[in-house]
Amino acid sequence: MKEIPDKNILLFRSCLVSVEYPGVEASTKFVFDKLGVDYAISEKQTCCTGLGHYSDVFDQLSTSAIGARNFRIAKDLDRPNLVMMCATCYAINKKSVKLLNNKDELREKINNLFDENGLGHLKYEKDELKPTENIFHVVDILYNKIDEIPDKIKYDLSDYTIATHHGCHYCKVHYEDTVGGVRDPHILDDIIGACGCETIGWYDHKRATCGTGFRQRYSNPELSFSATADKMNAICDEDVDIMVHLCPNCHIQFDRYQHLIADREKRKFRAIHLNIAQFVALAMGGDLDKVIGAKAHTVPIDSVIKDLKEVEK
Amino acid sequence: MRDDLKVGVFLCECGGNIADVIDLDEVRDSLDVEFIGQFENLCSLNGRKIIRDAIFDHNLDRVVVAACSPISHEKTFQDYVKPLNPYLMDMANIREQCSWVHDDSERATHKAITLINASIEKVKQSDAVDPIYCQTPDEVAVIGGGIAGMNAALSLAKQGTKVTIIEQSPSIGGHMAKIGKVFSPVKIAEECGMCLLNPILNELVWNENIEVLTNAKVIESERRAGTYNLIVEQSPRYVDTEKCIACGKCAEVCEVEVPNDWNDNLSMRKAIYRPFGQSYPESYVIDMDNCSKCGDCFRTCNMRAIKLRQKPEKSLLQVGSIIVATGHKLFDMEKRPEYGYTRYADVITQSELGRITGVNGPTKGKLLKSNGEVPKRVVMIQCVGSRDEKPDGHRYCSKICCTVALKNANIIKHKYPDTDVLICYTDVRTPGMFEKYYKHTQENEVRFLRGRPGEVVKKGDNFIVRTEDTIKGEFVEIEADMVVLSTAMEPSMGTREIAETLNIGTTEDGFIKESHPKIKPVATDVQGIYVCGTAQDPKDITDSIMQATAAAAKVSEYNYGGVEIEPFIAEIDKEKCTVCGECISRCKYKSMSIQDDEIYIDPMSCTGCGKCLVDCKQRAITVNGNVDEKIVATINGVLSKKREGERMILVFLDNIGYTAADNIGVNRLSYPESIHIIKVISVNRVRPRHIRYALENGADGIFIGEFPGDLMYDEVERKIGMVKECIAEMGHNPERVTFSKVYIPYFTGLARKLTDFDNKILELNEAK
Repeated sequence: MKEIPDKNILLFRSCLVSVEYPGVEASTKFVFDKLGVDYAISEKQTCCTGLGHYSDVFDQLSTSAIGARNFRIAKDLDRPNLVMMCATCYAINKKSVKLLNNKDELREKINNLFDENGLGHLKYEKDELKPTENIFHVVDILYNKIDEIPDKIKYDLSDYTIATHHGCHYCKVHYEDTVGGVRDPHILDDIIGACGCETIGWYDHKRATCGTGFRQRYSNPELSFSATADKMNAICDEDVDIMVHLCPNCHIQFDRYQHLIADREKRKFRAIHLNIAQFVALAMGGDLDKVIGAKAHTVPIDSVIKDLKEVEK
Repeated sequence: MRDDLKVGVFLCECGGNIADVIDLDEVRDSLDVEFIGQFENLCSLNGRKIIRDAIFDHNLDRVVVAACSPISHEKTFQDYVKPLNPYLMDMANIREQCSWVHDDSERATHKAITLINASIEKVKQSDAVDPIYCQTPDEVAVIGGGIAGMNAALSLAKQGTKVTIIEQSPSIGGHMAKIGKVFSPVKIAEECGMCLLNPILNELVWNENIEVLTNAKVIESERRAGTYNLIVEQSPRYVDTEKCIACGKCAEVCEVEVPNDWNDNLSMRKAIYRPFGQSYPESYVIDMDNCSKCGDCFRTCNMRAIKLRQKPEKSLLQVGSIIVATGHKLFDMEKRPEYGYTRYADVITQSELGRITGVNGPTKGKLLKSNGEVPKRVVMIQCVGSRDEKPDGHRYCSKICCTVALKNANIIKHKYPDTDVLICYTDVRTPGMFEKYYKHTQENEVRFLRGRPGEVVKKGDNFIVRTEDTIKGEFVEIEADMVVLSTAMEPSMGTREIAETLNIGTTEDGFIKESHPKIKPVATDVQGIYVCGTAQDPKDITDSIMQATAAAAKVSEYNYGGVEIEPFIAEIDKEKCTVCGECISRCKYKSMSIQDDEIYIDPMSCTGCGKCLVDCKQRAITVNGNVDEKIVATINGVLSKKREGERMILVFLDNIGYTAADNIGVNRLSYPESIHIIKVISVNRVRPRHIRYALENGADGIFIGEFPGDLMYDEVERKIGMVKECIAEMGHNPERVTFSKVYIPYFTGLARKLTDFDNKILELNEAK
C-alpha cells in the first residue's frame, strides 16, 4: 500500500462541504483530533474548481493554475500533504499535480502567467509535489489509522443495516492510488468495520455512480435520477438504514433528492446519508448538532438514529 | 614485431563488380605489402589454391582479402587461408561499401586503398585464436507434463534423446485431461479429449527414453559450459508407485472427503485418491494436508504400497537443454466481483462447464445447475479478464475463449435443444477454418449479443445479466439461470517460478518471452532453454503441439550440431578476481555467474561486448582477440590515407548495423565517399578514448549506430551522451559525434542519415 502520512497535513476545504454539509468538516476535525492526526486549515485556500471544471466553465489551464496556487499555500505552511473531504477535489488536485509535473509546456505557461501578473511567488517547480505521495482523501488517513479507531468508539451502531457508496472520483479516476479495491471497493466497509459494525458488503449496483454527473443532474435529469433510483431501489431492497458516503456530490444526490425519487419510484425510502467522517464521529460520540451537523440534512438523521447505546468496554 | 609481419593482399575483381569502378592497378601500386595479387573471382574454388600457394611461396603471416562483404564470404576465406589460423585473415569490403555505393572512379579507388590499408593495419594486430566448440550433453529436461511438454518429450525420445519430464502435480496430462470434449474446425464435430490424449500418454509411458517425475519441481539451476545442473525436489506421494496396482481399496476405506480439484472442486474426493481414471503414474497418492493419519488405508492395502514415512527427496539432474512447458492458469474470479462468481453457485467458468459436461465429470456429463435442474437459459460472458484495460485485467486476447464458448454452446445445444444459449461477446475471433464452426454454431440456434456485461445479479431465482447491446446501442437486462464466464488465460504459478529459477526473460504479462517473436518463436533469451505451449502465450492444443515439436526440433539441432562460438569473449584472470560480483550484475546477457567460488563466464552467452571490463575494479577481465588494439589500428589505417582537404568520417557498426550498410550497396543506393565503415563485434567496444583519438588524429566526424533491440542499446546511447560532454570539455565540437538507431531493413534511412551527417560535418568544416 502507498505510504500515508498522519502529519504535515493541510485539510483541504471543499465548497460543497462548507455550503451543504458543514458537519462533514466538523466531523473530520473531530475524528482527526481523536486519532492524533496533525492537520491545519488555511483561509487562503480556494475551491479546486471541480464543479465548474466538469461543467466546462473552467478549462484545465485555469484549474491547474488554481491547483498550483493551492499547492504553494500548502508548501508555505510546511503542510505538503493535501487531504480532501471531497472526491472531486481529490481527483482534480491529483490530476493537476500530474499535469504540472509532466507537462512542461503547461507548467511554464502557468508560471509565466504568474510572473506577468505579479504572482511570481506562486510558481510551481516540477516534482514539488507528487500525486501519490502528497494528495490524499480523508478515507486514506482514516484507513491508515484503522487499528486505532476501535479504542475510540463510544457508541455501538452495529444494530443498524449499513451500506456504503464509494465515489467514482475516488475509485475510478486514479486507480493506481485507490486504497481498498477498485472493482469491489471496500475501504468504507473496512473503516466501518473498525467502528464495530458490519456492512451489508456487496449489493446490486454497489459500484454504480450516484447519478450526479455534475451538470447532468440539471441538464439531463431523467438519466441522472434513473441512475440514482437504481441504487436507491437496491439499498431499499436490502432494508438499509444508513448509507455511508465519501463524497459530498453523492451525498447531495441521495440526501437532497431522496424524497423526489421516492415519488418518482412510488416507493418509500428510509435510509439516512452520512459521510464516513460523520459516521465515525457519531460512533466516537460526536454531538449530533455541533459535530455531525444533523440539521443540514434533508433526510432527518434522527429518523433512524435514536437512543444510542454505549459500547460495552 | 607486428610491423615486420608479412601481409599478403588478394584483390578480387568480382567479375567486374569491383574492377569496373575501382582502378585495381592504382590500388596495387599504392600499397606496400609482401604480396599483392589480383584475381577474377577469388571466392571460386580456385581461390583456395591461389591463396594457399601465395601463403607458402611468400611465407605470409597475415592475409587481407579485398573483395565483397565479410557477411557474404568471411567463412569461405577463413577456410581458404588454411593452414593459417582463420582469424589471421581480414576482409576489406570494397564491393558493398565501395564500388556499389560510389560512381566516381578516382574517389572510389582512393577509398578502396584506404579500406584495404585499414584492414592491413588491423590484421597485423590479430593473433591466432581457435573458435570455441561447445558440445552440450544430449539429455533434456522438459518442465511440465501437459499436452505441450508431453509432445516435446515424445518427439525427442523418438529421435533417441533421453528426456526427463518434471511435473509438479501427481499426474501428467495437464489441462487437456480435464477439458472434456475438443473439436476440430474442419470436422464440425466435438470429440472426446481424453480419447485423443490417452494414446499420447501411453506412447510416452512406454517409451524407454522418457522418465517421468511427478510431484516434482526444479528448485535450483546453474549452468556450466552448456550443462545445466538442476536440483529437482520430489514431494512424497506416500504410495509406492511400483507396488500400487490402483485397485482403489484404500480410497474406499478413507473417511476424509475434500473438494476434488481435478473436477474444479465440483465434486468430492478422498484424502487418498487417484487424480483421474487415466492418470499416470497409475497409482494412488495421499494428500497429506488433509490426511487424518488414521491408518485405514495402510491396513487395507494388500500390496503394502502405502508408505506414510516418505520424505521429500532432492536429486541432481544434468541436462544440455531445457524445454519449459509449464502452462497457464485461469483468471482469478475474485478480481471481477461484479460477476458474482464467488457469491452464486450457478455462475461458473468455461473450465467448470467442461467438467460438468464431461462424462467423467461430477454429473457424469449431465448439464445440471446446483439444484439438480437443467438450466433453461445459459448466458456466456466472453473476455473476462482478457482485452480488459481496467486494473488487474489483461490487455491481451486469450485467443481460445471464443472457440471454447462455441464448442460448449454446441455441446449444450446437442444435448439440450430446449436450453437457450446466449453468448455476450466483444468480437468473435474465429480465424481460418474456425469461422465455419462459428457459422455452424449460429445455425445451431446459439444466440449472440455484442456487448461486455457489467454485472450479474440475482433477482429471485434467476440471474439478471446487465449489458449494453453495442450493435443496437441499447441497455439490456438478460434473465438467465446459469452464467458461464470465459476467463482469461494467464501464466501459471509454475511458469512464473521457473522463469525466476532459470533466470529467463518474461513478457510484461509474465509469460515466458521468446527470443524473437517472429523468427525465434521457441527460443528463450537464454541459450539452450526453449519454451512451448501456454507458458509462452495463450494458445490452443494444436498450436501447443506445433510449438512443442518445434522446440524439440530446436533441441535436436543443438544436440547434433554443437555450437561453434567466435572466440572473442571475456576471460577472467582468477589471480586478480576478488569475486565481488560486479560483473554479474553488469552483464546484460546473463553470461556470468559464481561457481565454486569463482566467476564463471558462459562462452555460449558472452558476446564480448566488454561491459564487464570497464566495471571490473580489479582489472581482472580481458576480452580475447586484441579488440582494442584492432580498433586503434583500423582507425590509424584509415586516417593515415587522408589527403589534403579530404573529409573522413568513421562509422562504427556491429553485425546488424554492418548488414544494414551492406544493404545500401546491394540496393545500389549511395552515400558520400567520406563515410568509412568499421565493423566491431559490439558497438560498446568503441571506447571514449577511441573516439577522442580519432578526432585528434584527423577524423572529421564519428557516427555510431546501434540496433535498438540490442540489450546494450541504452547503455551505448548513454555512453555516447557522456562522450559528447567529455569531448566538448576538451575543446572538440560535440556535434562531430553522433549516435543513431540502425535497423537491417531500414537501409534507406541509414543511407540518408550518413549523407545528412556528412553534410553537417561539411558545414562545421566550412564554419571553421
